[in-house]
Amino acid sequence: MSESLLQISHLDAGYNGIPVVRDLTLTVAPGEVVALLGPNGAGKTTTLITTSGLEPMIGGDISILGSSIKGMAPHQIARLGVSHVTEDRSLFFSLTVKDNLRLGNRGGRVDLTTPLRYFPALEELLDRQAGLLSGGEQQMLALGRAMASSPKLLMIDEMSLGLAPVIVERLLPIVRSIADDTGCGILLVEQHVQMALEVADRAYVLSHGSLAMEGSASELEANRNLLESSYLGD
Amino acid sequence: MSTTSASSWLTPKRIPALVAGILGVVLLIVVFANADQTQAIVLGLGGGALIAAIALSITLNYQGSGVVNFAAGAIAMYGGYVYYGLRVNGQLFLPPIPNPLAPIEGIAHLAGASSFSLPHIPVFITLAHPGQGAAAFGTFVQQPAMPVWAALVISLAVLVLLGLAFHFLIFRPLRRAPVLAKVVASVGLFIVMQAVIVLRFTSSAKSVAPILPSRPVHFPRGVSLPSDQMYLVLIVIVVTIGLWALFRFTRFGLATRAASENEKGALVLGYSPDFLAGVNWVASTVLAGFFGILAAPINQSIDPITITLLIVPALAAALLARFNSFIVTMAAGLGIGMLVSWIQLVSNKSWFPKAGGSALPGLTDALPFVIIIVVLALRGKSLPTRGSIETIKLPFAPRSKGAFPATMVLGLATIALLFVVTPIWRLSIVNSLVGMVICLSLVVLTGYVGQISLMQMALAGIAGFTLSKVADAHHIPFPIGPLLGATAAVVVGLLAGVPALRVRGVNLAVVTFAAAVTIQNLIFANPSWSGLKGASVNSPSIFGFRFGQNDPWTKLTGGGKGLLPNPWFGVFCVIVVMLLALAVVNIRRSRIGRHMLAVRANERAAAAAGVSVSGTKVLAFGVAAFIAGIGGALSGYRFGSVTAGYFGAIPSMIFLAYAYLGGISSVSGAMVGGIIVAGGILTTVFTNWLHISEQYTLLLAGIGLIIMAIQNPKGVAGAIRDGVHMIRRRRDAKGAVSSSGADSVPVEVAV
Repeated sequence: MSESLLQISHLDAGYNGIPVVRDLTLTVAPGEVVALLGPNGAGKTTTLITTSGLEPMIGGDISILGSSIKGMAPHQIARLGVSHVTEDRSLFFSLTVKDNLRLGNRGGRVDLTTPLRYFPALEELLDRQAGLLSGGEQQMLALGRAMASSPKLLMIDEMSLGLAPVIVERLLPIVRSIADDTGCGILLVEQHVQMALEVADRAYVLSHGSLAMEGSASELEANRNLLESSYLGD
Repeated sequence: MSTTSASSWLTPKRIPALVAGILGVVLLIVVFANADQTQAIVLGLGGGALIAAIALSITLNYQGSGVVNFAAGAIAMYGGYVYYGLRVNGQLFLPPIPNPLAPIEGIAHLAGASSFSLPHIPVFITLAHPGQGAAAFGTFVQQPAMPVWAALVISLAVLVLLGLAFHFLIFRPLRRAPVLAKVVASVGLFIVMQAVIVLRFTSSAKSVAPILPSRPVHFPRGVSLPSDQMYLVLIVIVVTIGLWALFRFTRFGLATRAASENEKGALVLGYSPDFLAGVNWVASTVLAGFFGILAAPINQSIDPITITLLIVPALAAALLARFNSFIVTMAAGLGIGMLVSWIQLVSNKSWFPKAGGSALPGLTDALPFVIIIVVLALRGKSLPTRGSIETIKLPFAPRSKGAFPATMVLGLATIALLFVVTPIWRLSIVNSLVGMVICLSLVVLTGYVGQISLMQMALAGIAGFTLSKVADAHHIPFPIGPLLGATAAVVVGLLAGVPALRVRGVNLAVVTFAAAVTIQNLIFANPSWSGLKGASVNSPSIFGFRFGQNDPWTKLTGGGKGLLPNPWFGVFCVIVVMLLALAVVNIRRSRIGRHMLAVRANERAAAAAGVSVSGTKVLAFGVAAFIAGIGGALSGYRFGSVTAGYFGAIPSMIFLAYAYLGGISSVSGAMVGGIIVAGGILTTVFTNWLHISEQYTLLLAGIGLIIMAIQNPKGVAGAIRDGVHMIRRRRDAKGAVSSSGADSVPVEVAV
């Protein structure tokens, strides 16, 4: 496991000291797309929020590139190369698309080529306020902004939320190609199980806060019954 | 963009702006036709530059940390004093710092060793000594102790430290607190800074030597401007352009704007909103303080009030720019300064409205208020509210249990006490009772409905002045007079509360504060009402029984005249407080109370649940104004007169502090708030028993307020309640061990 980018081991995570996720162990390697699946309230978003430091972990440990993030502030974790596309996308609505992308690349020179290569549709929208974009455009901007810092780990929470299935079908292959091209590891929380398994290498299924299943995408697809039963809660 | 016809730009929305623009142009033409008026406008630039600088500081603060800093004017004033102390006396003054050795010394003194002394923390650090003075025209002229540059450098260093202290000690802990806590903390800061200056320099004005060269600069058409004012304007313009460029072109400015809109978004991108806020706090503190230093010499003197109160026009300017655009903020600040100067000139003209023979006062103060109201009326809903991660909720508003017996017992005990204590204590009890009434009005409005009002004392004053000038003047008898006053307060309260239907949070605090300043200067200070002397209030009487504060009274036992003040007035106050307290308790228990709390928690959700948000707010404004009005009438009877200063904007601010300190969301909190008001029971404990100077009580109130805003929004009463609950729970837990109650399931398992 020396090559793992993200290593979550025996994590207890939750709010105000009350665990929602219990004893979760999960890894993401560079260049890998890992799907995190599960029904509502399983603890998927909590796992991501804890990994990016927005909530403190209760027990266990999370390490990125071998170093523990325990006690680190969210902005310090982000500077390790972790990009978190949150469920609400966290865009700066009053700023332009260009300014949002500029903010994505915190340290270095402003370079819009990477985000625009993956999301060419943003090119025409550069001077528009982010608040005026459609849902799909906003999601592209959120992904593009996360890409602008050339992250090592990209965590995407519910990319499909509020989007038409057609758009999701277009965005997911782009996620796959980001991982293939840049060698960045991707942890993807997704409701559309079928679509997620099509692009993912491996998947973890959470149920009531603990790990119900894990395996390669093809294994899980082959085992539909088990997958469905973990959603239905047995 | 297909319909670019000629009429498309003239939308109904743009008509007000168009009308305002045309009026402005007409006014400019009229003004520039008269050379003296042009001159007056130009002379307003100096004052305008200071307003603009304070407004820029407010805007910078809001952008950086989401706090609307009511203390920005106080910071400018404080900076001016730091420089003054260094330049003239060569001394750097220190705020009062608690000495850990003081209690030891106190115990030693109690034990009889009165000469025992431990090291004290110095009040001033002397860095240079003033040069020998020369007698010029019979007055002793002192040579300044320190060169300008040295005093300036040290002052700026002090301001940097202050900015860091504000951030780390006050506003960083409050970053996730609700707006109310932030407003209250900045009010606390306002009170503390003013109290420190009064303690160190007294409240009288000090004369200041010029820093910038001052000689007239001539412009065409005979208009001239002293060069120091011109430099001040130029500096403010340079600073504005610098800020604009910083926020427009640098990653730092962009990140600050981003973090002010969405903290989580900034965090996950690797920016620290906390760091950004800290840097912006230092910048805004230095900005305000620096201009305080530069501008003080223009008035040739510095005092603790004048610059501090420029917060009102500065807030108007910042609000005009939506706390957003530096350029608009600066232009508005300069514009307000020029308009004020122009109004001052034309108030000497024969056509200007007169009151009592001289020009109507307070119009210059009313100007920012008018601007604020117009801005909010035109675009209230489009004003920004900052999207921060608020995790701390407003304080819990408990439903009082056993309120009736508690009120009866406490009330009767207080009545009994009034007849046995010495006059000093009787007076302090009455002061506290009057304070309780004002605090109760804030419990309804701010505690239950979450509307921040900084005008409750001004509303109290409306009632007091109505009692004096309408009721007493027309021989309207006792119970009707104060009720009439309270009704007048309700009318004014509703008028001022109407903007509350369109604005919320900190914007409402700004409106009410500006309203208080306006009411104070336009109505109370009006010579035909009271002038600065105050207006007398006849003592109350019923069926020929006079029970005013200073009416003679007969002792209950043994006969003979008792010492003043008259305890029967205290009895009257107790009854009023009991009635109002029970009324407020009942509001909380009723359906209306639930509506109020629903509006406080979430206006949209309340509306969706069928609660009339506007109706609830209007009702709360009315009820609160009525209670405040009763308080105003009581205080009129208490002093035998009403004065403008007592009912002004700053007392309103300080009363919010007392109410919050006591516990803004409960009736018991209002009672505690009354106990701690200046001149109340706690003050008397301090001065009579602990021998702490009265000047320190305001300072302590300010510090207590800041600590309370950070630590415990429930106030003193809430802390006591929590303590009682904890003891009860422990006792119950002991009892429950034997019976193994099924309801004691640990929370962790239930999730």
